[in-house]
Amino acid sequence: MVTHFQRGRKARLSDLTLGTDLYVGVQIAGPGLVFDISCFGLDQAEQLSDDRYFIFYNQPKSPEESLQLLGAQAGDTESFRVTLDSVPASIDRLAFTASIDGDGTMAQVGPGYLRIVAGGDEVARYAFDGSEFTTERAVMLGDFYRKDGWRFAAVGQGFDGGLAALLRHFGGEVAEEEPPAPAAAPGFAPPGGGPPAAPGFAPPPGAAAPPQAAPAPAPIPQPAPPPAPTPQPAPSFTPPPAAPAPPAPGGGYAPPPGAPVPPGGGGGFPVQPGQGFGAPPMAPAPGPPQPGAFPPPGQGGYPPPGQPGFPPGQGGFPPPGQGGGYGAGPTAPMPAMGAPAGAGAAGGVMGALDKYRGSDERRRWALQNPQLVRADLGIDGQPVMARQGSMVLYQGDIDFGFKGGGLMRRATTWATGEGLPSMMRCTGDGQVYLAEEASRLHPVELQGDAICVASQHVLAFDESLEYEVRRIDGHGLPGGSLFALQFSGHGTLVVTTQGEPLVLPVTPMTFADANAVIAWSAAAQVLVANQVRVRRQAFPGHSGEATQLQFRGAPGSFAIVQPYEI
Amino acid sequence: MDQRMTAGFAPTAAPTARMENHGSTMARVAMQSGNDLFARSGSMVAYEGYIQYESNPTALRQAFAGRLTGESVPLMKCTGDGLLYLADYGAEVVCVPLQNESLSVNATNVLAFDAHLEWGVQRVKGIAKFAGQGLFNLGISGTGWVAITSRGIPVVVDCGRSGEVCVDPDALVAWSSGLEMKGKRSFKASSLIGRGSGEAFQLAFSGQGFVVVQPSEDSTDRLNAQQQN
Repeated sequence: MVTHFQRGRKARLSDLTLGTDLYVGVQIAGPGLVFDISCFGLDQAEQLSDDRYFIFYNQPKSPEESLQLLGAQAGDTESFRVTLDSVPASIDRLAFTASIDGDGTMAQVGPGYLRIVAGGDEVARYAFDGSEFTTERAVMLGDFYRKDGWRFAAVGQGFDGGLAALLRHFGGEVAEEEPPAPAAAPGFAPPGGGPPAAPGFAPPPGAAAPPQAAPAPAPIPQPAPPPAPTPQPAPSFTPPPAAPAPPAPGGGYAPPPGAPVPPGGGGGFPVQPGQGFGAPPMAPAPGPPQPGAFPPPGQGGYPPPGQPGFPPGQGGFPPPGQGGGYGAGPTAPMPAMGAPAGAGAAGGVMGALDKYRGSDERRRWALQNPQLVRADLGIDGQPVMARQGSMVLYQGDIDFGFKGGGLMRRATTWATGEGLPSMMRCTGDGQVYLAEEASRLHPVELQGDAICVASQHVLAFDESLEYEVRRIDGHGLPGGSLFALQFSGHGTLVVTTQGEPLVLPVTPMTFADANAVIAWSAAAQVLVANQVRVRRQAFPGHSGEATQLQFRGAPGSFAIVQPYEI
Repeated sequence: MDQRMTAGFAPTAAPTARMENHGSTMARVAMQSGNDLFARSGSMVAYEGYIQYESNPTALRQAFAGRLTGESVPLMKCTGDGLLYLADYGAEVVCVPLQNESLSVNATNVLAFDAHLEWGVQRVKGIAKFAGQGLFNLGISGTGWVAITSRGIPVVVDCGRSGEVCVDPDALVAWSSGLEMKGKRSFKASSLIGRGSGEAFQLAFSGQGFVVVQPSEDSTDRLNAQQQN
């Protein structure tokens, strides 16, 4: 189940997943932009007190390997593995950031996301795009932080400077400020898609940062013998001298003896985005594509999404958004046409059903779709009155009871007979989903004003609203009279309509069919207008009389009519 | 006739997947011989190509045997090559690809599914005699496509985050198979949900997964209702 985060939202990680071995993927791209995506392990004062916990392209893992940079895979521009259990206690916060290398601003960024994947299932996603930013050149995307256990916060805060400014913000030092590398050699670094960092070979114990192919901007096609990691601000803890600087790809980069040449990465050429070596279809090589990059095999069982080692049939399905890449495998038994090239196909059940997920916002009344409304009783605490039988689903501890009411109201109910639907009173703490025969729902918020609603069109309302029954008598009305409920006060009322309603401003000559009228402002006066036609009716059973409701009222009054006559 | 009036409703050129939506209330299935389909009887609205229908196949009847009395088998087997258009009285149609997953669908909400999928009639323990309509559902699993219908736009609700999710059985469409489900009756004299029966039934789901509900308590089987008339 993917929980979608908005900027600023926080949640306890244990509410999202019970796993602590997490995969964090970041997708960020913009035309012509190249990004450095890093993770800062901060102490309680939100300072980078230990340089070894700045995880970036030159330092792909923390000493005890609780934080690892995995490179681009499965549609993510950059990905990390975070083993929360083994993060040292001195690290209080893990901040994931993206900064632009070269020219450009965050406003140019296209839609991207930060997502958390646990055990092959995406559990959380924070989506963002450039419209949230202006001239920033870096952004803090999301934080894991400790507060009674780990929590996750979608931060989405921009930063004017680039990576260097971020580093200073966190108290790190920037040792040398090399002129930024000429923004990505054209033709080489495909915009937006950082080529995967070459899988780090497991360094012998004691050896410091492993040699790394430089990320996106680096590949300047010249066999640069000397070090100098071209990407700009080289922080103080530059790779230890022992580690030869990222050899520029293209040249004959011979990996140190004994180091396994990772599949696909050996050539050192930036791989086109989308066919990053982590992408499953391209890497049929058995085993995880990063041999040795993972800590002892005992810790296995960490399936980043879409890796070949990911066992199908676990009930885990690839996170949506992976495109057709994954689909080919599992759907293979179906002949040609069956291969799901369709958009939703890759996501399996959740991919197809994701668009039917209701809104997550915490409001007392939230429309889940045009036909279903969710009332959150936990907000505001006051009971909701709902038409009996309109509950389709509820979560939490909710009691449903008949509306008792006082004697007076009961007497009214009796007097009005069947004109009123029976209501139930929902109390407790939780969420109730209400709907009525797939009719359209319209939450109307009253702020001290009043509205009359034909009684059969009331689905639910806050108990704080006052209501009284109004009866409009007139010869020719269906059932002899029309019952309306006049609501007033402060609160929300949900009205049902069949089809898209029409809101008519009340003029001196406004008429509506009594069968189609839904609601009108209480200030309007309702008259029953009968027209007797002399002409003989075309079909039998017709009384020859047409009955309409006429509305009259002060300017600003309105009447609502539905395209459906009961 | 001015063809432009209807041009917008022509099917898209070539199917890209086994099942697709044509509009929100119609499913289009790309049929191939050897890849049969079970569809709700009477749900075919049009087809192109050479497709044959066999209703009440023997195998099906056995699968349904002993379930409920007096109900006909609501599925037909479609074989052949071509394009098959299915709909169910204007209900919303959702085409779901299963990838080695399983799904439980309320039998009235099944429109079609690939014949090679594994499926079986499931019964919910303890609530077999469900308010009038004998709740039974199809458990479908494997890799392939399922089309489900919903009266109104459905909503997917996650379970597990907040304990139990209680659903009006009339509004239930489908749920992920991993969920634990039990009938819940509230005997409190004051609670009168449902259709005024005096007893309130809900299905309580717990565990990790999701539930799909429709915004309508209309669970009438259009097909059977028509036959009875």
